[in-house]
Amino acid sequence: MTELTPIGLLAELTHRCPLGCPYCSNPLELTRANQELDTKTWTRVFEDAASLGAMHVHLSGGEPLVRKDIAELTNAAHLAGLYTNLITSGVGLNAQSLTELRAAGLDHVQISIQGVDPTRADAIAHFKGGAKAKREAARVVVEEGLALTINAVIHRGNIKDLPAIIDLAVEWGAGRLEVAHVQYHGWAIANRASLMPAREDFLTAAKLVEDARKSLEGTLVIDHVIPDYYAERPKACMGGWGRQVIVVTPDGRALPCHAAATLPGFAFDNVKDRSLAEIWETSEAFQKFRGTAWMPKPCQGCDRAEIDWGGCRCQAFAITGNAATTDPACALSPEHTKLREMATADAASGISTYRFRRIGG
Amino acid sequence: MTDPAPKLAPGVKLRKDAKRGTVLLGPERILELDDIAQAIVAEFDGKRRVSEIAAALAKEYDANADDIRTDIENLLKDLTQKGYVKP
Ligand code: SF4
Ligand code: SF4
Repeated sequence: MTELTPIGLLAELTHRCPLGCPYCSNPLELTRANQELDTKTWTRVFEDAASLGAMHVHLSGGEPLVRKDIAELTNAAHLAGLYTNLITSGVGLNAQSLTELRAAGLDHVQISIQGVDPTRADAIAHFKGGAKAKREAARVVVEEGLALTINAVIHRGNIKDLPAIIDLAVEWGAGRLEVAHVQYHGWAIANRASLMPAREDFLTAAKLVEDARKSLEGTLVIDHVIPDYYAERPKACMGGWGRQVIVVTPDGRALPCHAAATLPGFAFDNVKDRSLAEIWETSEAFQKFRGTAWMPKPCQGCDRAEIDWGGCRCQAFAITGNAATTDPACALSPEHTKLREMATADAASGISTYRFRRIGG
Repeated sequence: MTDPAPKLAPGVKLRKDAKRGTVLLGPERILELDDIAQAIVAEFDGKRRVSEIAAALAKEYDANADDIRTDIENLLKDLTQKGYVKP
């Protein structure tokens, strides 16, 4: 049992997506359409999440708009009392679909962009016409008076465009900009050599964000998701394992973090078999790294143990082969130097071809 | 002195929650409000000005209007910075 209350539900409604971003956080093995949960099951999941105390639902994917029942799902989440946040590429969002979603109770839209120059942006997303569709989607969101967040995933190919990206967010009327450096999970690991920026470029970007936050105060809120490979201390991944967020995958597995499915030796419970409350409170997976008891040194006894919770389990596993060890993003981890060296080598690799995300890829 | 008529920023909702009390909800964010902040934010309707809100709350809570106005202005500044409110 746990006294903890989740804040948010990340509902990965589908893995289908017309785009092919090489940094997509979805797993390499994507779930096919016929495995997806149906409307009824998602409705129950939303209700369960709300009774557990969750306040936000992030309707995500893949591209959530490919679900034919997206308006119905939005409405179900809204009726359950959740703050509904649509996380979309913008492709498929037009005046008509937005009006429908708004009537269903949509509270907020987050549109991801690949850059400012349409041709280059489309090349990264591996989708022609994407940039144009996004521009149009952002316009209708603002016209409808809905709140807009722009999410820009930053990597070596666009890090120097950050000033233009910030300008674009203001010009498009966004209230919030997420400057999200690539997190190396899923497809991003496969593309790390082509995505990793140089450390100096990251430092310049960090300074730019800091300055823009000041000059745009009251106009644009900027959230900065920094790249772990250049950090000194890790992030509290998802606010700590099993503390704030529940991820439900398209086929119904409940995970403490969206990359957790990559960890070996876990049986993740499925919402088709057990209630969300039961999973949150008693499932082995949610309890495994919850709190501080599992921690090895140097986390054990560290004064940041209850701040960053030892960082990301999936990153620890990806780099060291052991999920139950300190996140190598932490400078106190014995593997930290190795991580830095990997990043430096990747940044200098000169590789500029991508393995684009696709089902069956 | 400026006398704005504050309102919640687009996408921000004031909600009551069984476990957390009164909160402001925005995209990826949540802010728990104490009793005073809650009473003030409930008045932010985009029509009434800070001076009017201060006068009304001073009457309701039998307090000094200038003190309340200072409370409102401080809260407004903080919430504007965080993007929850538009002055
Ligand atoms: S990151 Fe790109 S490919 Fe992945 S779901 Fe989002 S838009 Fe689709
Ligand atoms: S040692 Fe562990 S708890 Fe301490 S800062 Fe590093 S990752 Fe966080």
